[in-house]
Amino acid sequence: MVGTPHSLLRDVAFGVQAGEILGIVGESGSGKTMASLSVIGLLPSAIELRAGSVMLEGRELVGEDLTVERSSSDISMIFQQPRSALNPTMRAGRQVARVLEINQGLGKAEARDRAVEMLQHVGISGADRVARAYPHQLSGGMSQRVMVAMALACKPRLLIADEPTTALDVTIQAQIFDLMRSLVEEVGCGVLFITHDLAAVAEMCDRVVVMYGGQVMETAGIDDLLDDPEHPYTQYLLESTEKEIDPRVVDVGVNFALTGCRFSHRCPHAHAACNEFPASYPVGEGHASACFLNKEGRVVTS
Amino acid sequence: MSLLEVRGLHKIYGQGASALPALRGVDLDVDRGETVAIVGESGCGKTTFGRIVVGLQPSTSGDVIFDGERLDDLVGNRRSRCRIQMVFQHPDSSLNPRFRAGTTVREPRQLMKGGGRDEIEEKVDEILTLVGLGSEYKLRRPRELSGGQQQRIAIARALISDPELVVLDEPTSSLDQSVRGRIISLLRDIQSDRDVAYLFISHDLSTVRRIADRVAVMYVGRIVEIADTTALFESPRHPYTKALLSAVPSFDAEQRNRRIILEGETPSPSDLPVGCSFQERCPLVHDRCRRETPSLEKVEGGRSVECFAVTDRVSQ
Amino acid sequence: MSAPVPDRSPDFVATEFEGPEELPRGKRMIGMVRRKPLLVMGVTLLVLFVGLAIVGPFFVRDPLSTDVTNTFLRPSRAHWFGTDLFGRDVFARSVHAARLDLAIGVTIALLAMLVGTTIGVVSGFFGGAIDELLMRFTDVMLAFPGFVLALIIVAALEETILNVILAVAAAFVPYFIRLTRAEVLKERELEYVDGARLAGNSSWRVAFRHVMPNSLAPSIVGATLVTGYAVLTVAGLAFLSVGIQPPTAEWGVMVGEGAKDVITGEWWTSLFPGAMIVVAVMAFHFIGDEFAGETTS
Repeated sequence: MVGTPHSLLRDVAFGVQAGEILGIVGESGSGKTMASLSVIGLLPSAIELRAGSVMLEGRELVGEDLTVERSSSDISMIFQQPRSALNPTMRAGRQVARVLEINQGLGKAEARDRAVEMLQHVGISGADRVARAYPHQLSGGMSQRVMVAMALACKPRLLIADEPTTALDVTIQAQIFDLMRSLVEEVGCGVLFITHDLAAVAEMCDRVVVMYGGQVMETAGIDDLLDDPEHPYTQYLLESTEKEIDPRVVDVGVNFALTGCRFSHRCPHAHAACNEFPASYPVGEGHASACFLNKEGRVVTS
Repeated sequence: MSLLEVRGLHKIYGQGASALPALRGVDLDVDRGETVAIVGESGCGKTTFGRIVVGLQPSTSGDVIFDGERLDDLVGNRRSRCRIQMVFQHPDSSLNPRFRAGTTVREPRQLMKGGGRDEIEEKVDEILTLVGLGSEYKLRRPRELSGGQQQRIAIARALISDPELVVLDEPTSSLDQSVRGRIISLLRDIQSDRDVAYLFISHDLSTVRRIADRVAVMYVGRIVEIADTTALFESPRHPYTKALLSAVPSFDAEQRNRRIILEGETPSPSDLPVGCSFQERCPLVHDRCRRETPSLEKVEGGRSVECFAVTDRVSQ
Repeated sequence: MSAPVPDRSPDFVATEFEGPEELPRGKRMIGMVRRKPLLVMGVTLLVLFVGLAIVGPFFVRDPLSTDVTNTFLRPSRAHWFGTDLFGRDVFARSVHAARLDLAIGVTIALLAMLVGTTIGVVSGFFGGAIDELLMRFTDVMLAFPGFVLALIIVAALEETILNVILAVAAAFVPYFIRLTRAEVLKERELEYVDGARLAGNSSWRVAFRHVMPNSLAPSIVGATLVTGYAVLTVAGLAFLSVGIQPPTAEWGVMVGEGAKDVITGEWWTSLFPGAMIVVAVMAFHFIGDEFAGETTS
């Protein structure tokens, strides 16, 4: 890579239990997508994973050869734009069937029948007809259902859903959320649910990781986070969704400080110490915040 | 008399077998200084409606009357065209990438209102301050601005010609949550300052709730319910409105439990069933909905609903 | 607690896929040579050629003065590229020709670009019957090789340098029409075009003040390529004794005159001007090609 490298992610740590939905929430540029791509091992070539470890059920994934050692029963992914994530030249049913052929070694005919079953299972009425359709003939919601069917066809241990409903209408979003919840329960996989929408996190997740500028700001159970946010950024994020904000204050967009705490130049409590990178301190059980001050304004020594 | 009166507006794209009716008879009034929101899902025709109202697209049939004047006459004349302006959805593409912010904001004033150089410059400074940016932003190009700042420039461009109506087409949907709130507050401040009317087009119900006086819900090219914002959000009457409101992700667990999840998807406007267009997804559907097409009828206090299940009960 | 957000100038705009940061100039140049060797070579050659065309003629002999006592001298210290049948210095003629050929090439490219982009904007922006007509016209024009087209036009006109320029430019106009039209079709769908209409711009102003400047990038790159091809075309025509005529010092004329000398062993009269054509065209091609790849990717 040409140029001085700078870090996109720093000291990001989180874990997902089987059957748990972990939300990763942040605004654009927060590094939430980078974090998920590091997990699956699909970082763009210009970006290098300098250090860190990704463990799946005790197995180290960093440095693994994706084509040889990884199988689709390890990690699956659902994308934001379902229609561009599907192969436009292949019928929907065939795409699901291929996953089954490769992953479960099914024969062609068997895979095809199973694929139609899968499509039915994700709530597609007229699954026969949809299986024969090409992606451009499907609506956004329908394509996302096909993606969900593909992602869960091989019963992965971990599912990464990157803004799975951002491109969809709310009534369709409600359908997909409903579907995802019941299927995740059935398959028992862990889920990384990546979104910018805190309300969607409240709907879907058990625990939340709040990210800003490539750093984890706060990790908490969903109820703790909503009722009792600890980190100044989380408080700010929650307020911006609910309360009135002074319009005269111009947003600085997704700019963030380059040294120390990334939130320091927007933070109302910023002080000299914030030029250093804050370590996270425990707030309660499963609840941690990365800041030099706790909510009462006392300095947290770490 | 309302500032904007729309009567029986139809828009059909294409012809013959491939004809796609985007609007199927829309009536709407907007008063001076009022904010009317149009909400609906993608493809419902809300954007087409907004574009027709600002004169960017012709309608197929129907009347648009602005302050007693036909829209076509108004838009054909430079001096009056400035009375209706628009803010677009994508701040990154709605500004000419080669123009500095000052040029973009100055242009409408120069072309439509005229005036001396100093007078125009003074106005540019005033508007930039109004949108919270200040005159030092005049020399910035769009790529040197954040999304929120770009949208503020777009708002300044729309306001500098002193319009009486501004159509806001999803002005916040491509912005981050924290920026979104501030743009909405800004728009409300400007409204109380200038008494401008807004036609606010959005699919984002929580944003609409914070800015609109009245809300019209659109479904496949027709308004199915229109009511005051509080009334609509607190007691929606049309089954589609109910489902739409309940589908919004919420922090409130109770609301989540009351969720109505609609079956199926919005029908294609080129292939609508006989009768009510919502019949295939409607929990209240009965025989009449499959035979006759309902029309938008007044039910109470400024609320109109297009549903037999609602209007029949009222008239009985 | 409400969180007032300080308004500071952006230190840094983060995107999820961050590009490389700025480097010191020296390192940047080395990196450039390594990543784009052809571009660097093209630019270097072009700078040399332009320098030669501008200052060269002041330092060399008269390209037209004949010297019957010194015909067909081999390349030597006194005559770097040798002399020709009339004893004229081939180096002096080549250098003077560089000035003429580059000037003609650049003029042709600019003229073709000016006309082509203007028509392209009208065609793409307004569409309809005009567009339909223009597109059929360019289809026909593009069906002829540019060289043949220019040949026909020049043959039909009086053979002056101006007519050669007009003819070759005309042959390249359809190329610019197509390039610009394609770009305009993309641009006109963007929201700023609607914004410009609402700002009170007439359609013509929207087309030329807003859309055109944003649609020029491919044509500017195209103009670099076309300059090279134009030099080649003009020289080619002159080689066929069409257009620029002897004794003008022009590469094509020189190659044409020198071609028959090769049989009798005097290879230098045609080789050097021929090599100049090749290198000049290559220089433009390398530069244009590099940027063409960039704008389309």
